[in-house]
Amino acid sequence: MIQAENLTKLYGGIAVLNIPAITITEGESFGLVGNNGAGKTTFFRLILDLIEASSGEVCIDGEKVARRDSWKSKVGSFLDESFLIDFLTPDEYFAFTGKVYGKSEGDVAAFLESMKEFFNGEILGSKKLIRDLSKGNQKKTGIAAALLSDPQILILDEPFTALDPSSQIRLKRMLNELKGSRKMTMLISSHDLNHVTEVCDRIVVLEKGVVVRDTHTTPDTLKELEQYFAV
Amino acid sequence: MYTQLLKHYWLKSVRAPGYYKNLIVNIFVGITMLYFLVFFVFLGFILPRILEEVVPGVDPSETFNGLLIYMVILVLLMRFLFQPLSTINLQSYQVLPVKRSYLVNYLLIRPLFNPANYLSLCFAIPFSISGIGPVYGPSGAFRFILIIIFLVWFDTLLASYLKRRFGSSIAGILLFLAVMAGVGVLEYFGIFSVFGQSQQFFGLLIGQPLGWTVILLFAVAAFLINKGFFARNYYPEEFDRKVTRKQQAGRQNFTFMQRFGKIGEMIALIMKLVLRHKRTKNVLYSSLIFLFYGLLFYPNEIYKENDAMLIFIAIFVTGIGMILFGQWIINWEGSYFDFLMTRDIDTQSYIRANYLLLMSLCIGSFILTTPYFLFGKEIAINHIVAFLYNAGVNIHVYLFGATYNSKRLELSKGSAMNMQGVTYKNFIVVIPLLAVPMGLVGIFSLFSAQHIALLILATVGLAGIIFRKQLLEITEKQFLNRKYILCEGFRKIE
Repeated sequence: MIQAENLTKLYGGIAVLNIPAITITEGESFGLVGNNGAGKTTFFRLILDLIEASSGEVCIDGEKVARRDSWKSKVGSFLDESFLIDFLTPDEYFAFTGKVYGKSEGDVAAFLESMKEFFNGEILGSKKLIRDLSKGNQKKTGIAAALLSDPQILILDEPFTALDPSSQIRLKRMLNELKGSRKMTMLISSHDLNHVTEVCDRIVVLEKGVVVRDTHTTPDTLKELEQYFAV
Repeated sequence: MYTQLLKHYWLKSVRAPGYYKNLIVNIFVGITMLYFLVFFVFLGFILPRILEEVVPGVDPSETFNGLLIYMVILVLLMRFLFQPLSTINLQSYQVLPVKRSYLVNYLLIRPLFNPANYLSLCFAIPFSISGIGPVYGPSGAFRFILIIIFLVWFDTLLASYLKRRFGSSIAGILLFLAVMAGVGVLEYFGIFSVFGQSQQFFGLLIGQPLGWTVILLFAVAAFLINKGFFARNYYPEEFDRKVTRKQQAGRQNFTFMQRFGKIGEMIALIMKLVLRHKRTKNVLYSSLIFLFYGLLFYPNEIYKENDAMLIFIAIFVTGIGMILFGQWIINWEGSYFDFLMTRDIDTQSYIRANYLLLMSLCIGSFILTTPYFLFGKEIAINHIVAFLYNAGVNIHVYLFGATYNSKRLELSKGSAMNMQGVTYKNFIVVIPLLAVPMGLVGIFSLFSAQHIALLILATVGLAGIIFRKQLLEITEKQFLNRKYILCEGFRKIE
């Protein structure tokens, strides 16, 4: 489904990402872990065509993503605040996102209904603008908008940070359900080894832009990872 | 205490990021300021002669006194629209043992320390020498300067009260304009002359040794009104308040726009962007005021023969919306650019949405300026040519140029004089916009063939409209080439 070949990104002559080859298959849940500056966000931005690769390419369903539009209908993503339109209310933001994907108002309403538990009574129906929401609620808004288009591929950068414990658990449950029911391909990066091992079937560890581990999740994975990152 | 607070304010502005970075913009701004300064001083000296020309047989100081009330009101309106409310980061002071009344006084008085507020003195002082002194003597001239200073205080204080009390509502401004139009009608038909009243009032004050105290009392009264307002409406967070946003959101629905699908959605989004940010709203008001720019030139005999000047004004007035907003196109969506680039929005639709937005601004300003046709056939032809040129050439210049401006524009912070996100590129784009047609008409008019120049401009403009598809495709390619640079630039928060 997603393939990267000879993918490198250089900043000022220094490689921040260097992936000779990686393939993510349909329905796979792909967890990306690594310390700050390991290249997680860089990798996601390359998949989303927000930065230009220094060499190599990313393909989705066999089509290159660079400077193309066709992949955009298949991918839902939320990386950071630049994915939010801060002067809209959450409702307006969802309505806009829905319209862009050609969803009817009914579709959007039904989707938001299914998100009610995750929103926990906040966010919807309020006249607050997104820029006035708390960091946690901003994150929930962004994640929901990424899911709104019913994408085949979901890309989330650090989805658990800034969420309260109950919301983290709800998000985990939601992601696991989506994985089971809709065969959604997921790419999730996280600093929290616990969460990522609970959601993802495959864990890739990046260090200074290089893949140093690529394993399928087993009951021992968490321990191994903790050992790996121990200082 | 006050000196400490003022010092903090000074440090805050000097240490703001971007203060040093934006050297070229600062130079441009500096030159513009210097230009106005020199212009004002010069104007102050020659004003008596101008006033004598306009109203022959009446002493210039008398005429000036009559106009003074209008100036006070006009400045009040301008301040109401553009003066940023002085705010203070309260949290940092709240925890310290600082009296509340100190903070209130400081908030109210701080604008009076802003040198920009005294720009009018650059012109009042020369005028007191050239126009007031000869009639009222040196002490009269001195009193005149005092009166001007206190009027500045009065305007500044009253404007901040009105702003805190009423916010910046469009309805209020329209009401104000209606009242002013009414006063103008009364004045014109000689039913009631505000001009005459103002003449007598200020003439009396300048003549009396203690006349200036009356204006000082006005300023003090304005100060007290402010104090009273704070006493009645005091919540700590309101010190920092700008406009209550809660009612704002949800009011604007652009269902009529939504029929056009994705492109309409994007245009509706930008309309919300304009209406929900102070900086863009200020530009919207400015463009409404600039629509009247032609009135300064068209009635004047001096410009009747200056064809280059006339086409400049025509392009400026008929394209004002596009000229002011066009420099921000794409750039102003910087804060959610990554979102736009990863949603199901193809490049073609994105560019087309921006094109349509600029085009509707163009058509809108053109329609609003059709009353200028009353100034005669020549002006009407100029305006039509200017419209074609704006819609056919300038739009594409702006769109293409926009891909070069990768500086993030922070819309939420901002006031009228905010230069954040403005680079020298914004100034360069004006050259083909205005200078090329001006030069062309200027050269041809030397041979009395300005009509040929107009014909060329109109033809080029028409060609731009007809071949818009092909031109937009060029811009699309350019946009894709610059996309990553834009993404990276917009991610950098100053």
